[in-house]
Amino acid sequence: MIFNSEISGQQQHTTSPVVTGGSVIALVYNGGVIVGTDTLCSYGSMAAFKNVQKIAQISKNTIYASSGEFSDFQQVVKELAKIDRSALQYDDGVHPSPKDYGNFLARLSYKKRCKINPLYLQNVVAGFHNGERYLALVDIYGTYLESNFITTGFASYFCKAIISNYWNENCTLDQAKQVIRECFKVLFCRDCRAHDVIQLAYVDEQGTHIEEQERVDTKWDFNGFKFRANEKLHTQ
Amino acid sequence: MLKHLYDTDCVTWSPQGKLFQVEYAMEAVKQGSICLGLKSNDFVVLCSLKRQPSELAGYQEKQFKIDDHMAIAIAGLTADARVLCKYMRTECLEYKYTYESHHPVGRLVFKVAEKSQHKTQSGAKRPYGVGLLVAGIDPNGVHLFETCPSGNYYEYKCQAIGSRSQAARTYFESWFHLFEKSTLEQLILHGLSALKKAIMEDEELNERNVEVGILGKNQKFIHLNAQELKDYIVKLETFNANAQIQQE
Repeated sequence: MIFNSEISGQQQHTTSPVVTGGSVIALVYNGGVIVGTDTLCSYGSMAAFKNVQKIAQISKNTIYASSGEFSDFQQVVKELAKIDRSALQYDDGVHPSPKDYGNFLARLSYKKRCKINPLYLQNVVAGFHNGERYLALVDIYGTYLESNFITTGFASYFCKAIISNYWNENCTLDQAKQVIRECFKVLFCRDCRAHDVIQLAYVDEQGTHIEEQERVDTKWDFNGFKFRANEKLHTQ
Repeated sequence: MLKHLYDTDCVTWSPQGKLFQVEYAMEAVKQGSICLGLKSNDFVVLCSLKRQPSELAGYQEKQFKIDDHMAIAIAGLTADARVLCKYMRTECLEYKYTYESHHPVGRLVFKVAEKSQHKTQSGAKRPYGVGLLVAGIDPNGVHLFETCPSGNYYEYKCQAIGSRSQAARTYFESWFHLFEKSTLEQLILHGLSALKKAIMEDEELNERNVEVGILGKNQKFIHLNAQELKDYIVKLETFNANAQIQQE
């Protein structure tokens, strides 16, 4: 798989991302895996694209989301779709499992990293196959980690406490959704590049379900805000 | 027959629509010593008769492990078989490196068939002179494939290729309806019985000239060792396929 920049000889290396997506939070629950992202793509500190679906369905039982450079996200979605298309050529009814996608992405990321031209992403691959839940993180270096819960970006700093207090791997779908909503609420308050509109998607035995975007509950009518109780205004 | 007018290379058709070079390559397979394969719902068994070039020599191995879940038995030019074996092993390793899972069997056979076909459509190449029986397990189930120098491949419940393989196939035709539900031991004994049909009158099966490989859903590919082979050949004396019918 050759990128155009390599053919033209003008090798450019991704040194910093331009259009970026925020944190991804993914949890395993009793009967499936759920992934949540916000719907914002930032252009530096500008909230440029506020209605973006950042969770892609790769196959009937696999979904993919990532934080980082959004054009790399789009490219990865194309590359993962290519794998299943090649299955059509062989005509044998064998389709990649979620784990195949996860490992392929790890190999791809590692290859790019070795050329000092990484896919500037923290990737999350989630799926449900043969009765087993699958959730993996592939980072910018090509590190591959399977886990019961994954957080990328700022969620790794703010949300792990919430997840460890309110979630376990056998909770219900609704409980898992509530935990993710709570996490994004905190992220919206504390992460400058976060957005209050989020999207959830889950994979279970029946397949993939990507939900409509929803706004996180936020509360701004604190007395402190309303009456500026803690501030000394120069007019007073 | 004016065969010699049309058999110089692969890029010449005969008036009857045949590619003689390819057909001659298939002859090479028929000259190789017999190997056969048969499968049940859970296992595939490969049995081959090993040839000894002279009394001083060892016996030529005919079964090769491709990966934990796949193995081949060869008939024909061993050197060509080595090339295909190496190709299959490399493909399996690459697939495992990329996807961390086993190469689907049908897909690898397809790749080998493509490679073989390529050699039948060039002025400067010759077809591979080897037929493979490919045994494998994948999420689609238990498989047994045959590949030909022509680039065709077929899936089988049981098949025999090589010298005097028709005798083994005749045995299979009578008994293959039992294989699906057979135990591993019954499957091996059926395989050895079919092999016995294909040997010459003055030959006998022993642990040196017989090679048996087994592969199962929870069984990585292994060869039976000399002692196990001896035991099975002894059991062969009293093996009665009819008895299996009465059991069911």
